[in-house]
Amino acid sequence: MSVEEQAPSRAEVRAAVGPQSSEAVFLVLRRMRVPLIVLLTLFAISVLGLTLIPGTNPDGTPWRMGFFDAFYFMSYTATTIGYGELPQAFNDAQRMWVTLSIYLSVIGWAYAIGALLSLVQSRPFRQAIAVTRFQRSVRNLREPFWLMAGHGHTGDMLGTWLDDLGKRFVVVDVRDDAVDALDLGTYTADVPAIVADASTPDVLVQAGLLHPSCVGVLALTDDDEANLAVVMAASVLRPGLQVIARTSSASIKARMEAFGEPIVIDPFDRFGDHFAVSLRAPATEQLADWLTRAPEAPLPQPHDDIRPGPWILYGYGRFGREVTRDLRREGVEVRIIDAGTGLVDEPEGADGAIVGDATRREILDQADISSAVGFIAGTDNDVTNLSLVRAARRANPSLFIVARQNRPENAELFDAMGIDLLLVPTTVVAQEALAHIGAPMLWQFLQMASHQGQQWSADLIDRLVERCGTGSPELWEVALTTADAPAVVRVLDRHPIALGDLLRDPLDRTSTVEVVCLMVDSFDGTVLAPPDDLVLRAGDRLLLAGRPAGRHSMESTLLVDSSAAYCLSDEPAATGWLWRRLTREDARR
Amino acid sequence: MNLEKVVFGFFVMLAATLNFGFFIGDIDDPTVHNRYELYAAVVVNLIATVLKFGDRTQIGAVHLATSLVADLQLIAAAVVLVWATNVSPEGVTPSAMASVVSLSGGALLANLVSVVLLVIETVSYRRR
Repeated sequence: MSVEEQAPSRAEVRAAVGPQSSEAVFLVLRRMRVPLIVLLTLFAISVLGLTLIPGTNPDGTPWRMGFFDAFYFMSYTATTIGYGELPQAFNDAQRMWVTLSIYLSVIGWAYAIGALLSLVQSRPFRQAIAVTRFQRSVRNLREPFWLMAGHGHTGDMLGTWLDDLGKRFVVVDVRDDAVDALDLGTYTADVPAIVADASTPDVLVQAGLLHPSCVGVLALTDDDEANLAVVMAASVLRPGLQVIARTSSASIKARMEAFGEPIVIDPFDRFGDHFAVSLRAPATEQLADWLTRAPEAPLPQPHDDIRPGPWILYGYGRFGREVTRDLRREGVEVRIIDAGTGLVDEPEGADGAIVGDATRREILDQADISSAVGFIAGTDNDVTNLSLVRAARRANPSLFIVARQNRPENAELFDAMGIDLLLVPTTVVAQEALAHIGAPMLWQFLQMASHQGQQWSADLIDRLVERCGTGSPELWEVALTTADAPAVVRVLDRHPIALGDLLRDPLDRTSTVEVVCLMVDSFDGTVLAPPDDLVLRAGDRLLLAGRPAGRHSMESTLLVDSSAAYCLSDEPAATGWLWRRLTREDARR
Repeated sequence: MNLEKVVFGFFVMLAATLNFGFFIGDIDDPTVHNRYELYAAVVVNLIATVLKFGDRTQIGAVHLATSLVADLQLIAAAVVLVWATNVSPEGVTPSAMASVVSLSGGALLANLVSVVLLVIETVSYRRR
């Protein structure tokens, strides 16, 4: 985005934020009017009375207290300091008045302090304070940050990963408890959060939509309409900003895609794709799953026993339709059972669906469960899904069981049931969003990898495990440009280099750093899992996976001339600026 | 009729009239300037200021500003008067009285602006 486009947006931020930021002050002033006036009046009456009541000098002559003495006396009396210094001893008339004044002032103070305390505890005031604090912390963000609308289970999971990767984010959620949970959470970085409806553009602006450091918006609420509103607001107010949205409705997805180029994640659609890939090449799916997991996650088990025989699916709703379509595209036979609720569009039974309750044996037999290889429990009710799994297992113990877990709270139940393949929509969305956020090239890699065969993926997994261990690797991109890799570019000016040389350890060039190159993107095209002898050229972009230590070692090759020269050409390097100048002069001659 | 507006108008007017009452008379003659009137002017001005708290409109902000100016000037006048009466060895000299009254004159100007604002507000309200 150009500077010209950004300048007005910043002014707009200030305009939108300005009037509300002093809300709390105005609220205090307005609410304290009456208590302050009461206090003022009582004080004024007390002082006036003291000056009017005749006193007596020690020698018996009449004496009147001046305004200054009266003010002084009332000041230390009314504030309960009770200094006790009197200009003249009081007579009884003055004492009567002072007694009255003391009680009046105590009442006045009690009222004022009570009003202030109840104001501080009142909801609007606390909200005003929270809004002010939120706006200030968003305004003061200097690092790139993501705007997360909706911090449910998906947001929580994604937030933890983003935090691990050192990325900042701002949270907007309608639910109090979601924001309260953030305070108790274990994020390393401070996460500004506010309880507000993210579908209101004003709220998004307050949360930093127009902030120059805002790099993207994540629409992750449970409500498809709200997500659509977020996508809309983001694309209209800040065109070109990266938007990642979640929805499980095809029509909402189409409407989202009408606004700019958002990345729309439909968990059912994605799961169907993953499922289809698993059927074709389990290792490919295993690789994709592993690379999109949280940093240091263990290597997931491959679903080697998944087979393309006849499958039985229960629950022909949005999820069931997606999976059926994907499976049938792979040439797999799918027998559908539905209680009838998922068939609202076609009540007579769509696609040859059997209508009935699949927990009953005769319905399962009707679908010929004994000949099936797998069973999918795909309703939107976890209890139903679990009882379906139990019924299907009883009918055919050798079935491969796929179940949809709707509520993350039920994870233990599903774990205990030993489900072979579990769909947790929140996890699917979080993994997918992370793949988009972490390294933009990763997404391209995963797309291309999904068409690769079983052997290719298994080999790549072996190579990754051999070099980087079984914890999921860190993923990052390197462009061979003067900005990213100045030392390498200087070597490239002289002679071409091979990928294997770039991955040499700068401390010992015979060994390799704990890094694997997943993809090279060059002018000539894209190479997946490139071999070590691939020749690199300036401008190539690399997607790398590896341990943080490996990344660190490699960075020194990229940036430091002596390391680059040692790794890439095994020649003594001209390290200093002066020496580099001299050797270059030599070369020119 | 809005009771809040009555109270507001009452205090703004009373602040101005009390201030005027103290200000009027020979500038250096202590006998024509009643110190109780100055005291009342200070108290009523403070109340008027508090009544103007928390108004977020532009005219409300100017109201508050003029009131704060009047408070400042009147309190300064009161301090000078107390100093002259209680501390200064010469007592209330004509020059001391003149500075008290001129300070209250400055406050009077601010109070008049307040009254003008009040009138403007009322007139524009009618017109709507």
